[in-house]
This record gives sequence, structure tokens and C-alpha cells, in this order.
Amino acid sequence: MWRYVVRRLLLVIPVMLGVSLIVFLLMHFAPADPALLMLGERATEEQLLTLRQEMGLLDPLPVQYVRFLGRALQGDLGRSHRSNRPVAAEVLSRMPATAELAVAAVVIAVVIGLPIGIISAIKPYSFLDHASMFMALWGASLPTFWLGLMLILFFSVRLGWLPASDRQGLESLILPAVTLGVGAAALIMRMTRSSMLEVMDQDYIRTARAKGLPERAVIYSHALKNALLPIITVIGLQFGSLLGGAVITESVFAWPGVGRLAVEAIRARDYPVVQGAVLMLALAFVLLNLLVDLLYAYINPRLRTRYK
Amino acid sequence: MTKRKLAIGFMLSLMMATLAFSGCARQSERSEPVTVVVAQGAEPISLDPQRTNDQASARITQQLYDTLLFQDENMEIKPGLATAWSQIDELTWEFTLRQGVKFHNGEELTASDVKFTFERLINPKTKSPAAFILDPVTGVEIVDELKLRITTREPFAPLLAQLAHSAASILNEKAVTAAGEDYGQKPVGTGPFLFANWTAGATVELARNGAYWGVAPKIDRLIFRNIPEGATRAIELETGAVDIAYDVEPQDIERLAGNDKLQLVRKPTLATNYMGFNLRKPPFDRLEVRQAINYAVNVEEIIEHILLNVGTRARGPLGPNVFGAHLGLDGYEYNPGRARELLAAAGLPEGFKTTIWTNDSPSRTRIAEAVQAQLQEVGIEATVHALEWGAFLENMAAGRHEMFLLGWFSVTGDADYGLFSLFHSSQFGGAGNFTFYSNSRVDELLNFGRTSANSGERLVAYQEAQEIIVREAPWLFLYVSEEVVAMTADITGFVFHPAGHHSLKTVEKK
Repeated sequence: MWRYVVRRLLLVIPVMLGVSLIVFLLMHFAPADPALLMLGERATEEQLLTLRQEMGLLDPLPVQYVRFLGRALQGDLGRSHRSNRPVAAEVLSRMPATAELAVAAVVIAVVIGLPIGIISAIKPYSFLDHASMFMALWGASLPTFWLGLMLILFFSVRLGWLPASDRQGLESLILPAVTLGVGAAALIMRMTRSSMLEVMDQDYIRTARAKGLPERAVIYSHALKNALLPIITVIGLQFGSLLGGAVITESVFAWPGVGRLAVEAIRARDYPVVQGAVLMLALAFVLLNLLVDLLYAYINPRLRTRYK
Repeated sequence: MTKRKLAIGFMLSLMMATLAFSGCARQSERSEPVTVVVAQGAEPISLDPQRTNDQASARITQQLYDTLLFQDENMEIKPGLATAWSQIDELTWEFTLRQGVKFHNGEELTASDVKFTFERLINPKTKSPAAFILDPVTGVEIVDELKLRITTREPFAPLLAQLAHSAASILNEKAVTAAGEDYGQKPVGTGPFLFANWTAGATVELARNGAYWGVAPKIDRLIFRNIPEGATRAIELETGAVDIAYDVEPQDIERLAGNDKLQLVRKPTLATNYMGFNLRKPPFDRLEVRQAINYAVNVEEIIEHILLNVGTRARGPLGPNVFGAHLGLDGYEYNPGRARELLAAAGLPEGFKTTIWTNDSPSRTRIAEAVQAQLQEVGIEATVHALEWGAFLENMAAGRHEMFLLGWFSVTGDADYGLFSLFHSSQFGGAGNFTFYSNSRVDELLNFGRTSANSGERLVAYQEAQEIIVREAPWLFLYVSEEVVAMTADITGFVFHPAGHHSLKTVEKK
């Protein structure tokens, strides 16, 4: 088991290298000159040249990449071209907000998605099933931008129960988390339903029923446990995408997360910040995947033997 | 035993009651600190006024710092940290500093801080996007503790207005040196508010500077919140979470205006929006073609339907608040018949094909599309290229454009800033003259306006220059931007500044 964990952790290194290389190349091949964006259209050619030199943009790309990598390995992600703040500090100061929102959204998604998915699978093609599948389709197709504003209009403006934006305690977390969670809930709901339906057809479920087990026990200890693997995969993937892909929700609720920071940095061609943000998000994503894989082993004893 | 317990209990409760009452009394004496929350659409980049040139940062640094001179709401120059100034000769200005002004760190303001500030702004190592403000300055010389002289390369009339620019805010040498690379997060100024805290991506908090050299603010705390979504900004104002909201979106105006708990201020800014022609590319080298496009586009319709009337028709290159603006220009009225005549006169009766470049902001793209549709009416077939800002700037700098949509913010409120970079033949390309417009008379007039110390004569020169520019039409003149600020009815003392970074030192909250 530990050997597996260590091996997986070692695999993080080539993955991060790959990610950093791709981000580096993408940023440098994108049109626009960071020096021009920083100094504005009124800068003289001489000023631009000095700045490019100082930013190291005149060196060949491989040199720039190796220099970036060398510093990154020492924990130095450089300073933002725009704000001159250390990138690590800038990204880390936004990480808690992003993590908090992603965790809350996943919790909401699981709390909504899992039970409804199970119920739908137990009573397939019933009214309840149709209604919840309709809800799932609806939830998955709602644009987050619209949903966020509607939630604000209803809960903040009409009822005055919850703040519309600002990150101040649990209250302010509810609306953005629900906005993000609804879409994820829909996916988890559908995955739970189909996975459960498949399992419910299996011989061992019939056996469990035949030996007179109460239906609750059949569903929870036999069916759900076996159906859980793909569901956990979906939850893990959702979690990962929520970490980096919540830009719109972050904008609507003025949530100070990493996603918005990265988008602003991309627009300004603030290479160090983009690289720093993407690297940290990638690291979080990779570690999360590892966690999901370990959960597999915990849930499914058959897999444990593979992790020697 | 029980009696003793009772007695102790009695004593204790008496003590607690006394404590509680005294607490109440103290609280009612010292009233709650007054906090004003301001929402704006972007995160400030840095609170080092020399490191940025963006509105979100300037709106905050405006509260933290002072400039030698400042422009009031009518763009008139008033004494700031300098109480007196005079021109010693054509190239030299002398400034006398206000006595006893203290920086937020307790240091006293001296001429050496001013020298340090200006030299830092010009120094290429500072990488300031606003260094051009002091471009004409060749030297800053200390006369004594409170007197200094600034010399310019050539006579430079708009110097005073340039010194009122937020990038010319006076810094404290000791504070800048002590903070080093982190100065942008540890700003120290002489302004009415001092820096308290910055929560990345969310808020910047300022506190009242009780030792302010002018009239100290009435409010205790000023919080700037970064709310990127216009709809959310409006809602936060309606729900009372925010006291003042900047950049209210056109679609929210009607609703907010109908709310009697709110008040709206809408005024023209210093920005003119235009569609430029690349005069180096035919057929835009033909005067008739440029005039034809000005006649072919119904600008009023664009302002009404796309801007929802947030903006006023521009009949020339300068907005009404800029010194030197020609308010009597007729500009071009919508007249597609005249446009067709002019095209025919240019030998293009069937029209021609061209491209319109714009950055990808939704409203700019929509304007480009409206112009495209109207040009089609007179036979001009334009393709719209909406590019992301960085790519847009780069393509413009490389001169690949034919028609392009841009705006120009004359931050110093002076015609020199609003015309020189855009129309002088020495400013081709990146310096601002993206149309490659060149007219020797206009050059002469702009040079005169830049160097003459006589404001009456400057005005005359600028008026003539604008008449020529409008007649020669290197632009399709579109509109002067308007800024809409909304606030709760409790707020008084808000003074709108055409440059957009409103000073909040006089704001009060009931």
C-alpha cells in the first residue's frame, strides 16, 4: 500500500513538469507582448525593450523555461509582472477561498445527488424517477451565471436571508456553493442512478434478497457499495473541475478565488501568475486524484491486492 | 455557610451589573465607527501610484496620497501639497511646499521627497506605465527644505495639469525604501485616509487620517470592494451591503433610479470613443471616404440602442470637460445620401471592402457590428475582428488595422493630452497616433498649445486644430463616455470627478 502511495507521489513530478511545460508554451505562443500590456500603448520602444530584457523575455524559450523551473524548484515562483507581489503569496492567499467553495459545492452536490440517484434507481421509471431525472437534466443545463443571479435575486433581494456577495463566514458561502453544486449534483445523480441500476440487476443482489435480507441492507451494504466506484470517480472529477473552473461563479459572487486571478493574469499576460496558479491547481488536482484512487482501495477490497 | 454564599452571590451580581451599566454608558458615548463601503468592478493592481495606470488602483490611491496640485471637479488647478508656484523662466517652475504636512508614517514632507518621487517615476527601473507624465521634465532641483524647481526640456504649458495626475502622487522616500519590492502593498502617503488592510481579490480597507493637513474626513473607515459583476454591484447597493457603487451598468440604471432609497450621479467623463481610420491604407487616404463614413453612420442610434443613452454624442475629438474643447463644432449629421455622393466622388460608387478591429469587450463589439450594418447601407462591406485586448494592441502596434475602435481618456483634462498623442505626426503608431494622421498646420498648432504659457492663445490654437481635425476626419467621431455612480440616500458630500477617481474625503454618512 505505502509503496503504491510513494510511487503515485513520485509520478506527480513528471505530471507537474508536463503541466508547467504546456502552460509555459501556451502563454508564450499566445499573441501579445507582456511588456506592451504592462506599460500601455504610450510606452516608447526603448522602454519596452528595457522591460522585455528585465523580464527575461529576450532569451531563447528553453533558457526561459529552465530558469523558471530552477526557481520554481526552490519554491520561488517569481513576482507578478503587474502587481509586483510574490506569485506564491498571491496564489496561496486565494487558495483558501477556492478550496472552501469547492468543498462546500461538492458536499452540496453529494447530499443532493446521491440520495435522489439511489431513490431513482430503486424505483426506476416511477414518477419520482422521472421527476428527479428531469431535475437532473434541468440542473445540468442551467447556466451558472443565470442561476447565481436568480439565487441572489430570491434569497438576497426578495427574502433578505443571505448576503449577495463578499466572503464573510458561512452565510456568504451558501449561495455560491449551491450555484456550483447544482450542476455537479445533477451529474452525480445520473451517475448514481445508472450505476445502481446496473448493480441491482446482478446475481448477488438476487441472492441477497433470496436469503431474506431486508431491502435496506440489500441496497446499502450490497448494491451501493458496489455501485460506488464510478460515483466516486465522478465526484473526484467534479471536485477537480470545481477547483479551477469556477471563474463565472467567482465573478457573480465577487468570490476571491484562484480562478479569477488566473483569468485576470491571462488577460494581462502576467506569465508568472498564470504559471503559478496553474501549477498549484494542477498539484491540487493530482493529489485529489490520488486520494480518489486510495478511496477505491478502501471501498473495494478486490482492488487492495493490486496496491502492493 | 449559605448566608455567606448568598452574600458573595449578591456582591458578584452587583459588580456585574455595575460593569454592564458602565459598559453601556461607554458605548453610547463613543458612537459606532462610521464605515463607507465602495464597490468597483476590478481589483486594484498595486497601491504604488507609479506602478499602475488603471482606474481601480487610482480610485484608491487618490484617497491615500496627495499631488503637488490637484484639479477640482471643474478641472481647475488648485493648491495641493504645493501652496504656491511660479514660472521662473520658460523652462523652469518653482514650487513652494505646504509646511507641516506629515506622511502616514510620521515623516514630515520635504522637497527631497518630491525630488525622490519624480526621479523614481522617470527611472526606467520603476517600470512605470505612467512615466510619460513627466516625459518633458529634465530635472528636479531642491532649493531649500520646502522649495524646489522643476525644469523641462522645452517650454511645456500642461506641466501643472500633468503634476495633478495620480501617478505624480508624492511618496515618502523612507517608506518606499523600507518596503522595497513590497511597496505596492504597503503604501504611505499624505492623503486623508491611511492604508489599513488588503484582502487579496476582495477588499482594501482604509482608515481616517486624523492628522490630515486639510479637513480630516468625517468617516472612520473606507472599504473598497471588488465586485466584478455589474448586476451584483447593483444588488449589493439595493440590499444595503454597499454604500456607493461605481460603473453602474446601463441596464441597471432605470431600476436604481426608481428606488427612492438610492441616488444616482451621471456625468460625462474625459473619455472620447472613436473609430479610427488607418490613413496609410487606401481608400482611407481619401478625405471623401473618411467623411462619407462619418455621414453614413447614425451615431445617435448607436448611443440610444447599444449604450442605452449612457454617453453623449462626440462632435469632435475632445469631451466637454477637457480644457480647450471646442464646444461649437457641428460634426457630421447622419446623411447616407451625402455619404454615397462622397463615395462616388472618391471613385468608389459601389463602395469597398474593409475590416473593423476591436477588442472583445461586449459593448465595443456591438458598436462595431452596428457600424458594420450601417456601412453596408452605403455599399461598404466591413468585416468585424474582435480580438482579445493583448492581441488587439499588438496588431495595432504593427499597423495591421484598417478601421479600429478605441477610446482615449484625457486624464489630465488638458487638450494637449487629448490631442497631441493622437494627432501629432511625431506620435505615429504606438505613441497614440494609430491613424497616422499628419497635417502640418495641426502639428504647428499642437506645438504652440504645448509651449505657450498664455491660456487664451492656447485655447484659440486648440479650437483651430479641432476644426481642422473634424473636417479632415481621421476618425469616425462616436461618443463621450458617461460614468454612472449610484449611492444610498444616506450618503452626502460625494463630489464627482470627471477623471473617475473621485476623492472621498468629504463623504459623510447619516
